[in-house]
Amino acid sequence: MWNGVRGVLYRELKVYSKRAGKQLLASSISPLLFLVAFGWGFGRGVTMEGVPYLTFLIPGLIAMSSLNQSYGIAQELNISRFYFHVFDEFLIAPVTPLGIVLGETLYGMFRGLLSAVLILLIALPFGVPFAPTPVFFAALALHTFIFASLGVALAMLVQDHAGQAAITNFVITPMIFLGGTFFSLERLPSPLQLAVSLLPLSHSVRVLRDAFLGRATDPVHLPVLLLFAGGCFALALLAVKRVEA
Amino acid sequence: MGDAQVTAAAGRARSDGGTSAVLEVAGLSKSFGSVRAVDALTFALAAGEFVGLLGPNGAGKTTTIKMLTGLMRPGAGTIRYYGRDFLRFPREAKREIGVVQQISNLDRDLTARENLTLHAILHGLGGAGRRDRIEEALRFAGLEAAGDRPVRTFSGGMGRRLVIVRALLHEPKILFLDEPTVGLDPQIRRDLWDLIIRINQSRKTAILLTTHYIEEAERLCSRVLILNDGRLAAEGSPAGLKRGLGRFVLEILREEGLEEVFFETREEAVARLGVCTTSCKVRESTLEDVFLKLTGRRMER
Repeated sequence: MWNGVRGVLYRELKVYSKRAGKQLLASSISPLLFLVAFGWGFGRGVTMEGVPYLTFLIPGLIAMSSLNQSYGIAQELNISRFYFHVFDEFLIAPVTPLGIVLGETLYGMFRGLLSAVLILLIALPFGVPFAPTPVFFAALALHTFIFASLGVALAMLVQDHAGQAAITNFVITPMIFLGGTFFSLERLPSPLQLAVSLLPLSHSVRVLRDAFLGRATDPVHLPVLLLFAGGCFALALLAVKRVEA
Repeated sequence: MGDAQVTAAAGRARSDGGTSAVLEVAGLSKSFGSVRAVDALTFALAAGEFVGLLGPNGAGKTTTIKMLTGLMRPGAGTIRYYGRDFLRFPREAKREIGVVQQISNLDRDLTARENLTLHAILHGLGGAGRRDRIEEALRFAGLEAAGDRPVRTFSGGMGRRLVIVRALLHEPKILFLDEPTVGLDPQIRRDLWDLIIRINQSRKTAILLTTHYIEEAERLCSRVLILNDGRLAAEGSPAGLKRGLGRFVLEILREEGLEEVFFETREEAVARLGVCTTSCKVRESTLEDVFLKLTGRRMER
C-alpha cells in the first residue's frame, strides 16, 4: 500500500510544486473577492448569529475554499485519466487501489489545508479574532478528507470531462451556496433546513464556525462527518477498483 | 545502425528462446456493444521469446494488451502469468511485466529523471540502487543529457525511448510494446528497433510487440500471431508462414488488377517471368502476402 501512497504523493506534489505560485494565487482570488464584496462591502454593520458578519463569514470562506481545493483534485485526475493517461502508470504498477486512493486523498487534504491557511493569513489584517483549537483543526482535516475522497470517487466514476463539469455545476456549487457558508441555516424554512442537513458541508461549516468563534458545538456533527468520511472513502476505493479492471 | 545488423541481431534472438511459458492466454474475449474486439484468443509466450501481434488497425491488438496488463477487464477467458491467474493475483504479475502503451503516458510536467523516480517508487525500488538504475536507464536510452528536462520538451523519439526504459526499470521478465514505433521517422524507427533487440538479447526479456508494420514484425519477431477482426488468423515464424505460401511472388499487372503467383524458388519465378506478356515483377514474399491470402484484404494501405 505504501508504495502507492508514496508514488502518488511524489507525483502530485512534484507537479504542484512546479506551479505552486500560480496555484496559490489562483486559489486566493475567489475567497478574497468574497471577503471584500460580502464581508467588507455588503456585510459592514451586519451581524449574523450575534457576531459581526465578517467574523461569521471567515470560517465559511475557509470551508468553501478548502472544499474547492480538496475536491478540485477531481479535475486534475480527470485530465490525467482521459487526456495525458498519466493515471495508467498507477494502474499498471503493482500497487493497491487503497494506496492510490489514500495518496490522492492526502494530496487533496494538503491542498485544502493550504488554502485554509491562506485565508487565515488574508483575514488577519481585517482584524478578525481567531484562537486556533484542536477541534477546529480536527474538523478541517475531516472536511478536507471528505471532499478529497469524494473528488477521487467522482473522477473515477465519470466517463468524460463533461460529466465532471455537470457534477460540479449541479452538486458542488449548490452545496457551497446552501450549506451555510454565507448565511445562517436558521434563516431557511425548516423543510429546506432538513434537506440541507443531508449535505456534509452543512455539518463541517457548523463545526468549523463554532470552533472558530470559540462556541460549543452540537456533538452530533463530528460523528456525522466521520460517517461521511468513511462513506466517501469507501466509494472512492470501489470506484478505483472498478477502473483498475 | 544498418539494416543488415538489425536483421542479424534479430536472427540471434530467434535462437535462444526458452521453453517454459511465462504467459498463457486462453479464450480471451472482449466485446464493445455488438462488436467483438477480441474473440477467443489463445496463445502462450515463452521465457525470453520475442512474439509479434500483427494485424491492421482495429484488429484488437491494443484491446488485447490492455487486458493483459490490467487496464481493461476481459469479457471472457483466462490470463495466467507463471501459471497464476492474473485477475486473482494482479500485483504479483504486475511486478514481472513492463508496459509501453501506444499512447505516451509520460508525465509531461515532470523531467525524465522524475518520471523514472515515480516509476521506481511505485515499484518499491528504493535507496542507492534506485539512483543507479535511473542513471543506467537514461544511458541505455541515450538520454543522459536530457535527464533534467521536462518531458514536454522531448521529441517523439526521445519520449518513446524514455517510456521504454521506464517500463524496464524494475527489470520485468515480460515487456509489452504496443505499436512502439507508430508515427516515428524511419531513421528513429530503426534506432528503436536496435534498442528493442538489445533488450531482448542482453536482458533475456520476453517481448510481446503489437504492430501493423509488416517490416517491423518480420525483422524483430521470432514468432508472429496474425490477428484479424479480433481472431487469430495464423501463427508461426515469419519464415515458416511465408514458406507455406511460397517464398517468391510473381506480380502480374493486368488491366483488371494485380495478380500474384507464388513460387518455391527464385528460378521458377524468373522462368515464369520470362513468358510474361504484360508488365511483371518478381519479389520475395512478405507477411503482407500471408495476411492477404488469409483474409482477402491488405493490412497496409
